[in-house]
Amino acid sequence: MKLTMTDFTEIVDRYGAASESWPASVRAACQQLLSEDALARELLQQQRRLDMLLDAVPVPEFPGLESRIQNQPLPPCSRSLVDTVLEWLFPSNAPGKQFWRPAMAACLPLVVGIVVGNFFSFGISNESPGFDYWDDELYMLSLNDYTENLF
Amino acid sequence: MTDEEMMRAVCNGDQSAYKAIVTKHLKPISHYAYRMLGSSRETEDIAQETFLRLWINATKWQPEKSSLTTWLHRITHNLCIDHLRKHSHVQTQESFSEEEAEPNRQQSFAQEGDRGAAEKLQRAFRELPENQRSALMLCHYQGFSNKEAAAIMAISVTALESAIARAKRALRERLVLDGIDATTLLEELH
Repeated sequence: MKLTMTDFTEIVDRYGAASESWPASVRAACQQLLSEDALARELLQQQRRLDMLLDAVPVPEFPGLESRIQNQPLPPCSRSLVDTVLEWLFPSNAPGKQFWRPAMAACLPLVVGIVVGNFFSFGISNESPGFDYWDDELYMLSLNDYTENLF
Repeated sequence: MTDEEMMRAVCNGDQSAYKAIVTKHLKPISHYAYRMLGSSRETEDIAQETFLRLWINATKWQPEKSSLTTWLHRITHNLCIDHLRKHSHVQTQESFSEEEAEPNRQQSFAQEGDRGAAEKLQRAFRELPENQRSALMLCHYQGFSNKEAAAIMAISVTALESAIARAKRALRERLVLDGIDATTLLEELH
């Protein structure tokens, strides 16, 4: 693979002057170009100087900023009901240890169904027309072969 | 204590965990904001707002999606961009083109009188369009990979690499074409 100066410039601009940060697929071609082309070496040198300059640009200190941010008034943590319920069900600080909570939540509809079904008939009566007794109904549901009994 | 443990504590309203996070992350955040804005006062406001948002939105951080430092840089980046746009200091990617940049490049450092070399470099840096400046800073100074920096800026990796390339080219051309001696600059900066 042969690189042009334009390709090399693009690589140096994108990935910097350090050869280890260049894509592995073009590293050898870059080294090849550098060994052959003085312009490529000059470009790399310019890039190194630029990196050094960028490193040398100072940033001022911010005295007192840390304590000011640490002590700034913080609003009370207000979590939505959904977040609170989810946190109770799947506590992030003890994952897996409170497995009974989601299990209990999953059983809740079943428990509610049993309780409600025990108290309300929802119009279903033991003495509804068509069936004399629950025994008859169960008998019909038992998938017996009635022909045996009739003959 | 890991970032994840501290953030869980913050979610439960633990202010000492919040303070520990501030101690750990303030320096890179304030440096990033300063390099974006070039003003100490604005940097302090942005840093303060960043950590306030961390406290308020702690439950929204998803550790499996991004590290805490990436998330904080994203908050800072968005605050800086909002601030710059509000104060019209910014040249957006959309409005920027090579033709528009040409007069800037041709403006010589020599015309800037006896300004210090460091100031000249910082000025050249600040004249870069906001997306190029952010891309260069996140990768060069803050040490993020191209992928992480692209995630912070909410752009594709290709777009980020292109922005870095344009920024470096512009700075290099400016230094070379205007005859700025890198050795002198380095001496002055040190």
